[in-house]
Amino acid sequence: MTSNLTVRWLLCLFGLLLPLALPARNVDLATVPTRSTVQLTIYNSEDLTLVRETRVVTFKQGVNPLQFSWANTLIDPTSVELKFRGPKAGLEVLDTTFPHDKPQMLYWNVHSDANREATIEISYFTSGISWAADYVAIADADEKTLRLESFVRVRNQSGEDYENAQVRLVVGAINLVEKIAELAKVPVGRIGELDKNEYRDMRQKAARKMMAPAAPPAPMMMAGAAYDAVAEMEAPKEIIKEGLSEYFIYTIEGTETVPNGWAKRLRSFEAAGVPMTVEYRYRSREYGEQLTRLYWLRNDAASKLGTTPLPDGMLRVFRANGRDGLSYLAAQNLKYVPIGDKIELNLGPDPAVVFELLKQKVYRDNLWFQIKGGNLYRKLGEDGFKLELDSQVAGWDEHTVYRQKIRNYTRKPINVQIRREYAGDIVFRSRLNPTLHDFQTVQFETGIPAGGKVELDYEVIARMGYNQKQSRVELQAGDIKP
Amino acid sequence: MNRTRWLYPLGVLLVLGAGPLDALARIKLTTLPVRERVEIQLDHPQIALVEEERIVPLVKGVNQVDFSWANTRIDPDTLVLRILPPPADQPLDAKVLSVSYPPNETALVWAVAASASGAARVRISYVLGGLGKDFHYRAVADRDEKALNLAQFLRVNNNANEAYDAAEFWAGVGERFGKPLGLSETKEVQLSRFTAVPVRKTYTSHPVEFGYLDRAQDKLNVPMHYVIKNAGGALGKEPLPEGKARIFQDDGKGGSAFLGEDRGKFTAPDDELKLYLGLARDIAVRRTVDRNERQRIAGNLYRYDVTLKYEIENFKDTPVTLDIAESVRQIRDQIRGDSGRDPEWQLGDGSLRSPDLEKSDADKLLFHVDLPARAADGQAKKQIHTLRLTLNNEW
Repeated sequence: MTSNLTVRWLLCLFGLLLPLALPARNVDLATVPTRSTVQLTIYNSEDLTLVRETRVVTFKQGVNPLQFSWANTLIDPTSVELKFRGPKAGLEVLDTTFPHDKPQMLYWNVHSDANREATIEISYFTSGISWAADYVAIADADEKTLRLESFVRVRNQSGEDYENAQVRLVVGAINLVEKIAELAKVPVGRIGELDKNEYRDMRQKAARKMMAPAAPPAPMMMAGAAYDAVAEMEAPKEIIKEGLSEYFIYTIEGTETVPNGWAKRLRSFEAAGVPMTVEYRYRSREYGEQLTRLYWLRNDAASKLGTTPLPDGMLRVFRANGRDGLSYLAAQNLKYVPIGDKIELNLGPDPAVVFELLKQKVYRDNLWFQIKGGNLYRKLGEDGFKLELDSQVAGWDEHTVYRQKIRNYTRKPINVQIRREYAGDIVFRSRLNPTLHDFQTVQFETGIPAGGKVELDYEVIARMGYNQKQSRVELQAGDIKP
Repeated sequence: MNRTRWLYPLGVLLVLGAGPLDALARIKLTTLPVRERVEIQLDHPQIALVEEERIVPLVKGVNQVDFSWANTRIDPDTLVLRILPPPADQPLDAKVLSVSYPPNETALVWAVAASASGAARVRISYVLGGLGKDFHYRAVADRDEKALNLAQFLRVNNNANEAYDAAEFWAGVGERFGKPLGLSETKEVQLSRFTAVPVRKTYTSHPVEFGYLDRAQDKLNVPMHYVIKNAGGALGKEPLPEGKARIFQDDGKGGSAFLGEDRGKFTAPDDELKLYLGLARDIAVRRTVDRNERQRIAGNLYRYDVTLKYEIENFKDTPVTLDIAESVRQIRDQIRGDSGRDPEWQLGDGSLRSPDLEKSDADKLLFHVDLPARAADGQAKKQIHTLRLTLNNEW
């Protein structure tokens, strides 16, 4: 036990104990059974950690009062549970009492039918322990493969030291009604003022997702024993990944000590030689008004990945400069990537690729007039149509001719994909073999050799006013005359 | 112990079996591996990446490598420790097991496992705030303003509260270079020098972009620029980053005269860098709308015939080329108000009929007009030019 231990567990022995009496005495004698094992199950989607600890306690026959206190920690008092791991028979919790004058303390009265030693398990929820994933991607100098390293970082701000704890990390979002940190501040007597049904539901939901039954925690070792035992070179701890229901559990091999206030970062996995491609995209809705460079890879076995979904986390991208050094490219918040899904790394604009759109020409035709504000419409140039004074332009086709210029000053050929979105009744005329991404978004692609440039011409015909019959883009093959 | 080492102590605890908690121990022995090499990568537009190479003594087993930084803006989340491959004759397999972050300290502790006792060459990379850069240029034009020498400088501003006795810098352009960089020091180096770069001196009138010298008299501003194409010779291989340019001209007496300064924009290869020199006072351009006629096509649909007239005088004793630029949309808005639609136009039979197609588009028109020098008697010959436009389908 560390010297600053704040969760105190007391087996109170009273020479003149009355059955079921609370130890409200001025003179107490207590023994403090130490933790045998401790297991932390940390949820990264919520400020929630399930702590399971075991202790060995000697009971006398009859009623044994136990005191459990957690001063200056963030434990949810209503979540504390006591179970008997062995022997399971012959021991019974008679009642639990939260004394009014000691908010971070409870008493159990345990009845034992014989004098015996027993292993008990105490579990509770605490806040203040969190974990987060983060990643480092280092692309090779030629940007054909990259090295991806994934880390998990456990941060302990719970007020309690957890020594040699088995650490399990839950990937996935759970639903909670209240925040544990808030509950930890509420006196037990006032928690009843919360909506009890909701609260119970919350507990049950959380409990269902506890991933029970837990793997038996590793026996506690003296601090440093693991290191002393090094015979060969110590390998980084393996983080075992298991899927369960909609969740993934990462179990860190062996035990970890994370003192209060400390954070610890461990490698979750690393993969070298992960194949990747580079693509340039213009999609204003997704990437803003700029041509964006992207690295693409896939979270699958063929890409030397795919053993686990990638949890949300900060990903930093570097590129090897071929001289043992790195170039910093970008940092982005990676969203959860399921196994098999693609991974997109957004590197922002590339100064070596110039992307310019020129509006070359505008003209209008197919002009329709509304005659005298009525329901009669006539087309300009139609036989018999006169210069009626009292008529208004009601519909027309607006032709806009564009030239998309792209220059590639990189040392490699590049592929550029462009998406442009048009509202209204639109004809998109070109020789670019475009496709429709959706009813109003045109997509086309081009390759540009190293040091080369392309000019892509297209015409957008917007049917306006009375001429607008649809709301969609129609693709039309045709030559453009600037 | 030099300051660098104190500011960035990289300590290796020679205590086997040390867990993270032992970092709290009161008595410990620490070795301080010095920096063998430092590279500062400034190729990212906003971020400085520092890479330090150090030789770290390791003992067989698990070693604690402490890295701490005081009063500097290292982004601890960007710290990467890479163990470089050992020499073939000294095989040493080392691996990072974990990183621990002690509370309330700007420090971290790497747990590094080593297969044998020996020295490992490691690279520590981190993003460092307060280390900024900017580019600037010095352009010296020759006497007749046909060519100039362009020098490109990099200025590294060290407000990171850390000194580097020797560092190799890479700014993304130009050559790598090695220099020391002291505390709060600004280091300036010449990255590139481009000699005899062809330069074009332009005189431009553009009512939208440069406005009027005297609106009541319809006199336009005529700014002067040096235009350099980032192509040819040593240029054109890399972009020219944004930066302030100081412009000089050879005075023919072995010195140079300061002409002014401008902030040059990022210039990709094959693009033009325009440097503003000030207003030309010896070239007078009066712009008037000479004609504006409306013809009804049908209903509320009209065609406009517009003629702009330019009266131009060159009071210089050298011939020059004037660039006349116009925004058709601005002309349309001026004569009939903004309809919210792009103008549909055709060039008419004015004297300005051949726009520079490379630099003109659906809205912008650019014409080049040659102006002779003023006559021997000192009189400037007034040139009249007209731009005739038909604006179709306006309502």
